[in-house]
Amino acid sequence: MTPDQRLELARTWADPPGLWGFLTTVDHKRIAARYIFTAIALLFLGGMLALDMRLQLLRPGMERMGPQEYNEAFTLHGSTMLFLVSVPVMEAMALWLVPLMIGQRNVAFPRLSAFSYWLYLGGVLMLWVPHALNITPDLGWFEYPPLSGPAYSPGHRADIWAQMITFTEVAALAASVNIAVTILKMRPPGMTLTRMPLFLWAMLITSLMTILALPSVMLVTSMLIADRLVSTAFFAPAASGDVVLFQHLFWFFGHPEVYIIFVPAVGFVSAIVPTFAQRPMFGYRAMVVSLVAIALLGFGLWVHHMFAVGLPRIGNAFYTAASMAIALPAGLQIFCWIATLWDGRPRFQTPLLWIAGFLATFVIGGLSGVMTAAAPLDLQLTDTYFIVAHLHYVLVGGAMFPLFGAFCYWYPKATGRLMSERWGKRAFWLIAGGFNFGFFPMHFLGLMGMPRRIYTYPAEAGWETLNMVATAGSAIAVLGGLVFVANAALSWRYGPRAGADPWHAPTLEWATASPPPAYNFDEVPVVSSLTPLWDERGTLPVMSGLATDQREVLVTSVARASPQYRQNSVGPSIWPLISGIAVSALFVASIFTPWALVWGAPPIGLALALWFWPTRPRLKASVFADTRS
Amino acid sequence: MRCGAGLVLLITATLALPACSREARVIDPDQPVTAPVGAADPRQGQFTDNLFQVAQGGRYFAWYGCGACHGAQARGALDLADAKWKSGGSIDRLYAAIAAHGPLGARIPTEQLWQLAAYVRQLPELDPALRRRQDLDQAAEPQADQWSGPLR
Amino acid sequence: MVRALAVKRAVLLVLVLAGCSGRQTPLDPAGDQSQALASLFELMVWVCGGMYLLVLLFLAASIYRARRRLNALPQGETQDDTALTRGLWLWGGLVSLGLVVLAIASFVTDWALAQADRRADLEVRVTGHQWWWRIEYRDPASGAWIETANELHLPAGRTARVSLGSADVIHSFWVPNVAGKMDLVPGRRNVLSLTPRRAGWFRGQCAEFCGTQHALMAFDVKVESPERFAAWLARQRAPVTSSDPQLARGRQIVTGGACASCHVLRGTAANGRAGPDLTHLGSRRMIAAGTLPMTRDAIQGWILQPRAVKPGTSMPPIALSPEDADAASRYLVSLR
Repeated sequence: MTPDQRLELARTWADPPGLWGFLTTVDHKRIAARYIFTAIALLFLGGMLALDMRLQLLRPGMERMGPQEYNEAFTLHGSTMLFLVSVPVMEAMALWLVPLMIGQRNVAFPRLSAFSYWLYLGGVLMLWVPHALNITPDLGWFEYPPLSGPAYSPGHRADIWAQMITFTEVAALAASVNIAVTILKMRPPGMTLTRMPLFLWAMLITSLMTILALPSVMLVTSMLIADRLVSTAFFAPAASGDVVLFQHLFWFFGHPEVYIIFVPAVGFVSAIVPTFAQRPMFGYRAMVVSLVAIALLGFGLWVHHMFAVGLPRIGNAFYTAASMAIALPAGLQIFCWIATLWDGRPRFQTPLLWIAGFLATFVIGGLSGVMTAAAPLDLQLTDTYFIVAHLHYVLVGGAMFPLFGAFCYWYPKATGRLMSERWGKRAFWLIAGGFNFGFFPMHFLGLMGMPRRIYTYPAEAGWETLNMVATAGSAIAVLGGLVFVANAALSWRYGPRAGADPWHAPTLEWATASPPPAYNFDEVPVVSSLTPLWDERGTLPVMSGLATDQREVLVTSVARASPQYRQNSVGPSIWPLISGIAVSALFVASIFTPWALVWGAPPIGLALALWFWPTRPRLKASVFADTRS
Repeated sequence: MRCGAGLVLLITATLALPACSREARVIDPDQPVTAPVGAADPRQGQFTDNLFQVAQGGRYFAWYGCGACHGAQARGALDLADAKWKSGGSIDRLYAAIAAHGPLGARIPTEQLWQLAAYVRQLPELDPALRRRQDLDQAAEPQADQWSGPLR
Repeated sequence: MVRALAVKRAVLLVLVLAGCSGRQTPLDPAGDQSQALASLFELMVWVCGGMYLLVLLFLAASIYRARRRLNALPQGETQDDTALTRGLWLWGGLVSLGLVVLAIASFVTDWALAQADRRADLEVRVTGHQWWWRIEYRDPASGAWIETANELHLPAGRTARVSLGSADVIHSFWVPNVAGKMDLVPGRRNVLSLTPRRAGWFRGQCAEFCGTQHALMAFDVKVESPERFAAWLARQRAPVTSSDPQLARGRQIVTGGACASCHVLRGTAANGRAGPDLTHLGSRRMIAAGTLPMTRDAIQGWILQPRAVKPGTSMPPIALSPEDADAASRYLVSLR
């Protein structure tokens, strides 16, 4: 490619300047960046809430927080971490990484990724603006009826939570559809499904899981809003409704959700380990089969959240078996990662340190999960601090540690600078050490009878010492988080410059500059193995032919990734933002009146019509016919 | 951009504030230790304008057994939701009427009388479908000296 | 690094196992159900602990091996993965075996628990309210229900069949020393069997978030010999028979005042059902659902300002003069 062509390419893919550019961009990297910044800000807000709660539980009978504040705190903490941090940050990493890992210029549906961010932001505001106005939801992150029903929860707090779910789930669906189609239809020539990096497998499977699971929670929260707003009786036992129906529908989503959070982390680990072991991943096929098994099994486990509800024993036994079975694919994956290290030449830099922390921590969470999978034993363990320990071990150890590792790993690619190794290691020890120190005692607290969601406890219970340890550990972990963020912020300005491939990694994203230009790659690479950058020493073969004067991406076939046609890729557009505002208005208004559904629909229709307004003449023949001269 | 977003947030917040004070949930209110003084007693706002206090009034409405005669199916003089109260609709009149309502009324503590009066006062605005739905949820609650057991 | 974490964990384990006995812990089983579960838990700890050690050892070995290889091997060597593949199969087999063992153990435990369900020497009905427990015993003689609140007595060696229901929202009944928990779900009737073996006082607590005061919704459980239990039940069956003239003022306040609209004292004019039964309040160990000890001062403080101890409770503060409050609490303490 000549320098002139490159210049033209840069101009074609540039965003308009200033505020307008910010609002109309469809550059997946910019959108992912704002997603990640928002999620990190919320991670800290959620972490502050957690510290608040831990300070309240430091000693028995502390009066820092009354029951109302405490209930609001754990509701906000759980809802923020699960709906506004964990799932969105994984989607954001995928949004940033997927086009880079497949050598393409953008995702399949550029405007949809922008729309997904605006709706996510709407969800953030939906939950946190009411908090600023002191009407925080206070019924837990799951809001079981009848407590959340019209009789026991006056006002709109419960509706605020339920509608926040709707926002974030539409955003997640939009992002997942985008990622799934991008992975299936836009891989570079030669990247067959069996030569696809494991991270792409993980994101493909996560996206499919999201599409199948999220409608369930949207449905159930909408049913709850309907019960509260228009007096339907879905969950009213006295009117032949069923309170347990809510739990089934909620957990049918709720269990796959934790795998939606965990599977991308599996992808991160599977990207980092081969690079730092300097050998291809051992057991690629086993890894893929395990990912698929986890996804499939993950939909058959939800009743293990309901073992204490009083469902028939034999039903519970089935879910015990399924919940234990899912430990097998996870166990195989653990073996494959360690085996890759066993036979490689590991370099112990920060990303690998995070992987080691993940392995040591997540396995504890997985094993405490096996314990709680046994239905009878779960009757002692559920709704106690044992479960608090378990869920944090799998979410923090199993998803956050790989996320931090991935952040350190891809930071040079995104910013062109390396993070400080010394401070990175310190942050790791503070976070991983603090977390283990703080949360391991919670297993014992649960075994000593401490239930969840209590704002205080009696002195005679004997829980004080371990609570103090838990508080201390959490504080250390938060300190480590601050060090981590400070490292990221300062390295942006003062870190040593990184080249295109500082880690000597095998995958395609390392073949372009750091940070990548707006158009990602000069040409579409052609791959012939799982580790293209290790095999093609020198120059990577490419396929030229994409236009430089208009935005184009290459569409390839699903299984064999053979090139099919060039697709117009949409440029900057204001319609995702306008549609997002219209949808947000409908969502917010519909917790006050059902008429919002009627009056809110035409603006959305208009915005979408303008979004999809055709900008070029219709095709007269199929794309597969030879129409271009 | 940041200033613009901040301004929008500020405007929304200011507009929304009055509505949001209705949702406040102060667990330890300054309990009025005396009955309302006249129809314009300034303390009434903390009950009639607060969804939580009104809801508490609704709960005591069930627990003191008011629903037996003044429930959703009541008609005529017993219907408290038609905004036509024999005693008059101001807070002090309603309070006094409830307190004078036989031996039961005489025993109700002050704070609960305030909450009940606030509840009755807003009953006309309560959507009948919502009231019916709330009653369904509370069907297993005790009512005065009756309790039919938990819902099976 | 891995070793450091393991040491940290060992220290914590020792610290905590030292405090294993208690009134509210599943690790100090005092009944058949909790004993079965404690044994299952012990098996789990061995199997899961063993698996974790294997993972850590494998990780440590890889790191150690890698450090030695760093200086040894040149780049660009093909890997022979046969040994590792064999290891993968072995590992898969071991994990599967472990899971099968644990699943079978779980099924066996469940079956054993189900056997206990068949016996029912005593029928109890527990209803959850926001934020207290209504407890009713079926009188073996007359078939009538004897009501009390917030304190459960059980005869040792007999199986109590506890029928669980809720009057408002979802709660959960949990006495960890005796059995696992079971939710009280509106619209459902759940049944839990309790077979305590060891006499003593234990503590139960609500284990499903049920609103503002979920944290202070506990109850005492007294396990005693069948004879003492029968005597206790006989006393609970009796109505209030106090005729002490010194307590007349208190009796008048309690049975004729605000208390009577929500509480019942069988044998008097107080017949409210909205709050806990107070007929034998004085015989209980604690008041306010396990929040305060059963002393005259505590009762007086509770009546005058319940929100100071349990903010958000439905119990209203009752305006009484100091003398009246004194008399009322004296009377209530006397109700044994």
